[in-house]
Amino acid sequence: MEKTAAMFGGNATEGCVLIVDDEPDVRKVIRMTLEKAGYQVIEAEDGEKAIEKINEGENPLILDVMITDIRMPKINGVEAIDYFQKEYPRVPLIVLTGFPDTELATSLLRKGIVDYLVKPVEGEKLKAAVAKGMERREIHHL
Amino acid sequence: MDETPKIRLVILGGGKGGTALLNLLGHLPAVEILGIADKNPAAPALSLARALGITVVDDVVHLIAKTETNLIVDVTGDPTIKAIITAHKSLGTEVLGGAASKLLWNIVQHDAQMQTKLFQTEKLASIGTFSSGIAHDINNPLYLIMGLAENLLDETDTTRRREQTNDILGAVKRIATICQNLTHYARQSTPFDTTNVELNGTLDEALTIAHYATTPKDLSIVKDYANNPVITAKPEEMLQVFVNLMTNAIHAMEGKGHLTLLSECQDGIVRVSIRDTGCGIPQESLEKIFDPFYTTKQPGKGTGLGLHSVKTIVNKNHGQLSVSSTVGQGSNFQMEFPSASPT
Repeated sequence: MEKTAAMFGGNATEGCVLIVDDEPDVRKVIRMTLEKAGYQVIEAEDGEKAIEKINEGENPLILDVMITDIRMPKINGVEAIDYFQKEYPRVPLIVLTGFPDTELATSLLRKGIVDYLVKPVEGEKLKAAVAKGMERREIHHL
Repeated sequence: MDETPKIRLVILGGGKGGTALLNLLGHLPAVEILGIADKNPAAPALSLARALGITVVDDVVHLIAKTETNLIVDVTGDPTIKAIITAHKSLGTEVLGGAASKLLWNIVQHDAQMQTKLFQTEKLASIGTFSSGIAHDINNPLYLIMGLAENLLDETDTTRRREQTNDILGAVKRIATICQNLTHYARQSTPFDTTNVELNGTLDEALTIAHYATTPKDLSIVKDYANNPVITAKPEEMLQVFVNLMTNAIHAMEGKGHLTLLSECQDGIVRVSIRDTGCGIPQESLEKIFDPFYTTKQPGKGTGLGLHSVKTIVNKNHGQLSVSSTVGQGSNFQMEFPSASPT
């Protein structure tokens, strides 16, 4: 299943994660945490860029897990989640947001996202969420 | 015959009492202030009076002797002035001094304190509506700090350690700046102390706060500033006015559109406009928007006191506020104040 991940030039072993956040600092930390854990990381600064990245001619199936912020310019996280769930229903989604909103968390979890994490989140928690997402991904691959 | 005869008064004393009287009476249509006098040319009320176009004199006798004066208000606190007034005032002129002027001063003071409290309440309530933006702006650098610190626990490369430590310091400073901006905004103004306020700086500061109301990158901001627009006001209150108008504008645009901030100085008038390309205000609502507790926002999202406070503060500082709006195209809130800089 990992053969397409090589198209991004990486030799990921654990899987490929797309992070969508408008803050370069946040993307930097997620990348650091996940690369240490052996994941390949792709970045997009907003929902629109994420959609562009995926439709860039690469096969979207290489994407194993997506982590997205909520409050972003252009296409925000909720809009992006709706889009991704419709277009790529098999890619597990994790929300990582700066603003804890119980109502939104509940509605997104009902929609089937893997986890709703609030910044600042410990590396271990983030890795656990991604691992959970990977498990779901594996089930889809079966 | 004039149906509403004006009370033509002169004020003796340019201290706090004189300032408060100018602030309270200066914009009442039924009152005309013929002049103000104080021996001390640096008395605070005198510069305010000049900004309002009110005659300032140091010759008390000349002012007292004006025949068209209905009322002399003595807030000098100087016991010797009473005799001078009695000696020189014309027969029909009444005098408000001593305990009577103290009573007036007390009422003015009480009124100003109540108003200041109301403005403060409105301001603090409005900060609640920024909570999501503030949380976002604090939690992002916090996440950077946490992530880098976790990494530093076992980072052995000296160059990377130094780099990441510097990033942490930068993030800490960013959070400190947010707290500084917020505490500055939340600060209560004193009831009477007006000073010269440079409005371009206040507009910029307000924009920083108003940004918490939205995701900033979808807004295009156009600034068209005049050189050094200065008015006499309380800086905290002017900041509150601009933050209110800008957050309304940003909300009306749902965070996406053009926000134009304009300042102009012309013929002793400072004009400030805050214009948006948002949803606009229907004609039938335009009359109501300044009423206290009028709001179109959901419960918890607005106090209904924002525009009411804006209008009260603008008028109190001898300014005029006007609004023009087209549904679907946007709104323009325009303010005019007497300039405090010499022209």
